[in-house]
Amino acid sequence: MSNPYFKQAIRGVKSNPSRTFLTTLGIMIGIGTVILVLGAGEGFKSYINAQVDAFGSNIIIAQTSLPPSTKARSSTNSSSSSHPNSSASNAIPITTLKMHDVEDIKNIPNVKNAYGASIGQQVVTYKNTSKTTLIFGSSFARFDIDKGVIANGRGFSDQEDKGLAQVAVLGDKIATDLFADENPVGKFVRVGNYNFEVIGVYEKKSSLDPTNDGTQIVIPVTTLQKKIQGIDYLIYTVIQLEDNSKADVTSLDVVDVLRRNHYISDPAKDDFKVQTQKESLSTFDTILQAITFLLIAIASISLIVGGVGVMNIMYVIVTERIGEIGLKKALGARNKDILYEFLIEAIILTLIGGVVGIIGGALGAFAISKIAQGFGLTWKFIVPLWGIILSVSVSAIIGIVFGVFPARNAAKLNPIEALNKE
Amino acid sequence: MLIELKNIVKNYDNGGIITRVLHGVNLGVEDGEFIAIIGPSGSGKSTLMHTIGFLDRPTEGDYLFNGENTKDFTDDELARIRNERIGFVFQSFNLLPRTTVLDNVMLPLFYSTNKKGHEHKAKVALEAVGLGDRLQFMSNQISGGQKQRVAIARALVCDPKVIFADEPTGNLDSKSGSTVMHILEKLNKEGRTIILVTHDMNVALHAKRIVTIRDGEIVKDQPIPESERVHSKAVSD
Repeated sequence: MSNPYFKQAIRGVKSNPSRTFLTTLGIMIGIGTVILVLGAGEGFKSYINAQVDAFGSNIIIAQTSLPPSTKARSSTNSSSSSHPNSSASNAIPITTLKMHDVEDIKNIPNVKNAYGASIGQQVVTYKNTSKTTLIFGSSFARFDIDKGVIANGRGFSDQEDKGLAQVAVLGDKIATDLFADENPVGKFVRVGNYNFEVIGVYEKKSSLDPTNDGTQIVIPVTTLQKKIQGIDYLIYTVIQLEDNSKADVTSLDVVDVLRRNHYISDPAKDDFKVQTQKESLSTFDTILQAITFLLIAIASISLIVGGVGVMNIMYVIVTERIGEIGLKKALGARNKDILYEFLIEAIILTLIGGVVGIIGGALGAFAISKIAQGFGLTWKFIVPLWGIILSVSVSAIIGIVFGVFPARNAAKLNPIEALNKE
Repeated sequence: MLIELKNIVKNYDNGGIITRVLHGVNLGVEDGEFIAIIGPSGSGKSTLMHTIGFLDRPTEGDYLFNGENTKDFTDDELARIRNERIGFVFQSFNLLPRTTVLDNVMLPLFYSTNKKGHEHKAKVALEAVGLGDRLQFMSNQISGGQKQRVAIARALVCDPKVIFADEPTGNLDSKSGSTVMHILEKLNKEGRTIILVTHDMNVALHAKRIVTIRDGEIVKDQPIPESERVHSKAVSD
């Protein structure tokens, strides 16, 4: 710190430590909040990424969807729906996605495997216990593609699927709900009007498919379609890729196959939607960014309030040091020397607030990550470097912006008037 | 002529009421002189010193410093003159609090264009006032007399031509005051111009010439014969 401006400014900052602390409190809170929000956001992102990885990152999902051209019409009918154009949550079912589409998709280069699925909600009963839950009908390939691990028993085979076998694999939670301490494998549960043999139970949280929270039951898709739902169409198909880097090209191939099979020439009339995991992630990213932006905007109010606090105190400090300013001018300090000294002091004040805020915010984000990990979530503790750089720059800029007026006041003081006030 | 004041007028504007403090002062100071400006309080002697010391600009009149008219000098140019050519010693010492003796003396060097050898120059200046052993003392840990000697060292550190001393003994006991005056005399003997402002005739009699000011005008300007001068000795404290 050989720079005299720094030396003088630091002397000022050190002269009244409790006031320095209180002055910088607003900046600390503001910067701390920004860092906390960024850290928590990054942690949440790491959690979502882990989810996606568990589900399989080399995955494309094609699902039935109302054509965009009819979206406006349908959304007025079901304005409360969160997915206005998803047939799964819409009163108008799309019936065009069939098992032969899945077979054709399997022939696309870079497609390793695929399964079709339908979903229904049914009451499931074992002895006197009943639960209403989602029934996932899937082809057997699900057990190869999905990362879910069957802890107890087995999945079903192609023959069982095609043969309309009444077999079921239970999520861990529904298994516990229905069977308590009994071993479910080999027992029968009643789904609708049929008895299904439980052949397997998923490991706890084995599949992190957002639709798989442990309460689901997986049965052969053909059985669900023919015996329970009385339909022959699918709601979605999950496609596994050889090479995820070609996901965009492959998803276009999937679109081509589906358009050809569904006799669609106008993209506006697509009755399906193909989404790569990358796209899902970017959708999620957009939402997260919006939330982060909002929270940072709120934290910025604290920064501005903090800046005004710094300005206020700088005015007090200038008044307090009028005699000193006069002396320095008498000893040859130019106006700009005085200006720089006060400006640097203001910047140091805000930087102290910034650094303490960064440490505090990072500690907060660390605590959140520890709590999340305590709940068993894959939550990393990340404070982005750009966030730190941004915070330091923002606090320095606040110092300049809110310090310049008091500093100019100090610089413009007449030396003799300043000396006389001593 | 080092300092030449021609018809210097200084008005203070106090919310529309204009007070004339200096009424056309003419004064010349040669290089190496030791002059005392005396007068009662309110006579304008401080204003005169501030004007000569470039702390304030005259309302009217010309001020030639080293033969140059300073009328059109910018604030920065005046700051540079104060830094390089003038050293100030004030009645209340005006040391920076919570700062070492050495750093206090180095302060004018911070604002100088010469960026080298600051610490050495400050040490030399402190040796000259007999405080070479107090470098790391805080400014509030030393006696009043020592404070004023630090202030003199600070005035000396940029090697100025003129030293302005405004009631330098006003806040000191007689022993400390004596030491301070002894140092000023020594500096004058070494060739520096000393301009002393005081209301105390005993202090003024250290000078070689006394200028008396009353109601903003110089009423008397007389040399002091060597036989009438007072000489102080350094007294250890």
